[in-house]
Amino acid sequence: MAISKEIYSVMEAVVGSENISDDPVICESYRSGPGGYENGLGYERVMTTIPGCVIMPKNTEEVQKIVKVCYRNDIPYVPYSTGFYGPRSHPHVEDALLIDLKRMNDFVLDEKHFYVEVGPGMVYSPIQEECMNHGAYVVIGGGGAQASAIANLIGDGWSPLSHRIGLPHRRILGTEMVMPDGEIVRMGSLATSEDPFWGEGPGPDLRGLLRGYTGLRGCLGIVTRMAIKTLPFQPERLEPTGISPNTALALPEKRIKWINFTVPSKEAQVTAMREIGHAEIGGAVTKVPLFWRAIAKAECKEEFWDLWGKETEESIANFFIVRVLLIGFTSEEQMEYDEKVLMDIMEPLGGIARRTKPSDESWIKNADSAGMWLMCGGYVSVDYVIETLTQSVEHGPSYAEVKKKYTPPLMPDYGDPGWFQSFEMGHQGYSEFLVYWDPDDNTDGVDQFYLDTSKMNIRNRTYTSLLGPHQPLYLTGPKYGPNYHEFLLKVKDEFDPKWMSHPPVPLAHDVFVERAPWMQSMKDWESPEDLPE
Amino acid sequence: MANELDVRYYKPKEEFKFDITDMENFVYDMSRCIKCKGCTWVEHTYMPGAKFMTRCPSATKYEFDAYGAYGKMRIGHAMAEGKLDWNEKALEVIYACTLCGACDVGCKRNLDLEIELSLESLRVKAVQDGVGPMPAHKKVAEKIKSSHNCFGSSHEKRTDWLPEGITPSQKADVLYFAGCTASYINKEIAQSTVRIFKAAGTDFMLMPDEWCCGNILFSVGLYDDAKALAERNVEEMRKTGAKTLITSCAEGYRMWKVDYPKLLNISTAELGFEVLHLVEYVDEMVKSGALELKNPVNTRMTYHDACSLTRLSEPWTPYEGKRGWMGCVEPRLQRRRGQNGVYAQPRDILNAVPGVNLVEMPRMKENAFCCGAGRGTKEAFPDFAAWAAQHRLEEVKEIGAETLVSTCPWCKNNFASAVKADGDDVQVLDISEVICASIEG
Repeated sequence: MAISKEIYSVMEAVVGSENISDDPVICESYRSGPGGYENGLGYERVMTTIPGCVIMPKNTEEVQKIVKVCYRNDIPYVPYSTGFYGPRSHPHVEDALLIDLKRMNDFVLDEKHFYVEVGPGMVYSPIQEECMNHGAYVVIGGGGAQASAIANLIGDGWSPLSHRIGLPHRRILGTEMVMPDGEIVRMGSLATSEDPFWGEGPGPDLRGLLRGYTGLRGCLGIVTRMAIKTLPFQPERLEPTGISPNTALALPEKRIKWINFTVPSKEAQVTAMREIGHAEIGGAVTKVPLFWRAIAKAECKEEFWDLWGKETEESIANFFIVRVLLIGFTSEEQMEYDEKVLMDIMEPLGGIARRTKPSDESWIKNADSAGMWLMCGGYVSVDYVIETLTQSVEHGPSYAEVKKKYTPPLMPDYGDPGWFQSFEMGHQGYSEFLVYWDPDDNTDGVDQFYLDTSKMNIRNRTYTSLLGPHQPLYLTGPKYGPNYHEFLLKVKDEFDPKWMSHPPVPLAHDVFVERAPWMQSMKDWESPEDLPE
Repeated sequence: MANELDVRYYKPKEEFKFDITDMENFVYDMSRCIKCKGCTWVEHTYMPGAKFMTRCPSATKYEFDAYGAYGKMRIGHAMAEGKLDWNEKALEVIYACTLCGACDVGCKRNLDLEIELSLESLRVKAVQDGVGPMPAHKKVAEKIKSSHNCFGSSHEKRTDWLPEGITPSQKADVLYFAGCTASYINKEIAQSTVRIFKAAGTDFMLMPDEWCCGNILFSVGLYDDAKALAERNVEEMRKTGAKTLITSCAEGYRMWKVDYPKLLNISTAELGFEVLHLVEYVDEMVKSGALELKNPVNTRMTYHDACSLTRLSEPWTPYEGKRGWMGCVEPRLQRRRGQNGVYAQPRDILNAVPGVNLVEMPRMKENAFCCGAGRGTKEAFPDFAAWAAQHRLEEVKEIGAETLVSTCPWCKNNFASAVKADGDDVQVLDISEVICASIEG
């Protein structure tokens, strides 16, 4: 139902006339595509549309009032923080209200208790800068320095720094959320006081509402405030240097340095990561996709293809690298000690330290996900796996095998197994597989590949996070557990019986498969006939 | 490289060129925007913290996505696809923008999309479609037509700024192009400039009949009018035989160095003369010992990077090529990313002035926040221009600077107005005045 003049004026009274618009030009600017994460793919083309109206609240109270008006008048709405996350965070139904949260960018840093408190409009890089200025640091998630910290922590929120800092759900502290009916739920210690220091509160831990598995794209409410745990850092300044596009943080080498090692085999790579974790040294231990190295070296996309074109399946299969970030958290002496331990680990494994620039371009402050689009124009991370180190390393090659079937349209990558790293001091391993394509090509194969990887993971019984919100719930839900999908839908029905908050999530991918003719031959699972329109 | 057929899939190549009179040339760029908002945020390596996080005045002031480059790319793309038509809001979105280039360098940090050219082409399209420019711009265009300056002042009085005791030569290697603002409004800038020439012993001339550079015409999409001025001015300059044209106006500098070549479809090198901003010339003079900065200017000073001297000032080269698989272009394109703008010279000069304690603002160089005055903004959206200057002044106050210096009369005027309106205790100077004070005492 389109928003009537009367309801528009009610909302205008909440936020002021300058913060609401149904002008078609304003609404067009909130189109998900044509470029960006997942844009240009079938899901974006079939499932998204521009909003009927856009509103920009400034605080929780305004969000609450807006949602109550929507709920009372059956107006579907979508929360939107930075809009970077492609079609999943844009309207899926006609005449939806898009609630743009960018004005809610409050920031409070508690130096003594090591946390920051932010609104959904606050992105990562300013948080990291403020933290580093006060002796602390956080992970800038793989979503990038420009991602809303709240949105990213709900969904993903990890990076190579998670080797030491750990997984994101451990860093979500007190949280405030406006439920679909407009009521406020406070989680953690915010449930009983204004102190957001604790993630767990009295009674059940409600953080599952945020995550659903790894986030449900706003279909269970809108997080308006979150405290994020920070950890102590070393004290010296990381100085920005250079002029864009060649900028970097100059590292104080006696306190922070990257060392890149080549090792002779995948086994040595895994052993190195595990041993480094056991020794409890390092701020990050990672191995990135090899084409990222070509991106870093190239001055432009044409040069990237020149460089990448020189690779072969053999060269990719026989190149093993381990990147280690050492941080002297407490002293230069600690740094020296850690480096000696590292060398003691790497030497018997045949690790050779290569010349490494004394700077950081992409992980500490400027997690550079936006650079992923340079070489092709189309990109998604197909899946993440969090497993043991030895199991997760098997994940990339299995993806690479499936990928061959869909190349082209996918970019030729010579079997590159993707990104692989240590989490939580080697207690867990992480694998992420990324695919690229030319958006001007027929992308049906990319959509099909996506779904095929889900089936592969089900066959292999592999833990995957994107299996949840990015795949048909009736395909993946029964595989998590016999009634995961039913449980999830009951939670949705309980909190949002009218399905006004970002419909038809969490059934959006099910609907997509029904609507996209090129997907239907792949449907070999049961789903009800009464999926949302 | 390896056999191309092994690596690249066949795809027909599409021809395109850097011609802003046809928006189709930039639909590819519009279609590849990923909404990372690198155009709007301060580059993350330099992100100063929870204050001063953005560098796009338009997106910061108006906040809806439409006002950021990411919104304008979507609007332009929808127009190109025939899904969206002009209305009042579209015009406001397209013109309430300083075209300051922050978005362009931001995008080229990661994606190499031609954002500035896309925005320029949108304005040309607005004029072609009969809806642009804004009424205030049309008035300026009338003034330029009738009196050869953007204020409608008497053309006969254009050189009245010349100070006593300084007479330009009839013929010289160096030609000083004062521009409208320094000729009529900020005469102190033109006067300081020629005093610097005198102190350095540089023989200079003026154009026999100087006309407006056409910055506003070009910036608001009045392409044909701007092109006519470019043809006239370049021809007049060539006739003088001068080898170097010096401006003390960043906007004029960009016009001569970048946009005249763009309008005339030639490279900057093909102009046949060198274009310098005063700071490039003075920096060279100071470093060669021809000019001595001897008298102290005791102040805690900060420097504002004028957009047209920095991220928008790299030389222009026409481009025609083909785009194929994955968007790769041939022939190879030397992209203008703002990296070679004039960043160091003004800082070197100010640091060489005795007594100056130069402190940087949180947003500097390619991340600087535009003053808000240029490229038709102040004429059509005076409140927005004033807001942008006030926002930038917050930064000046944050670092405790007593003096704010820039290299463009547009910046100086806009900041000075904001200081006056707010009753702030900040001295606003053009760099020519600082240099002059140090050489003359």
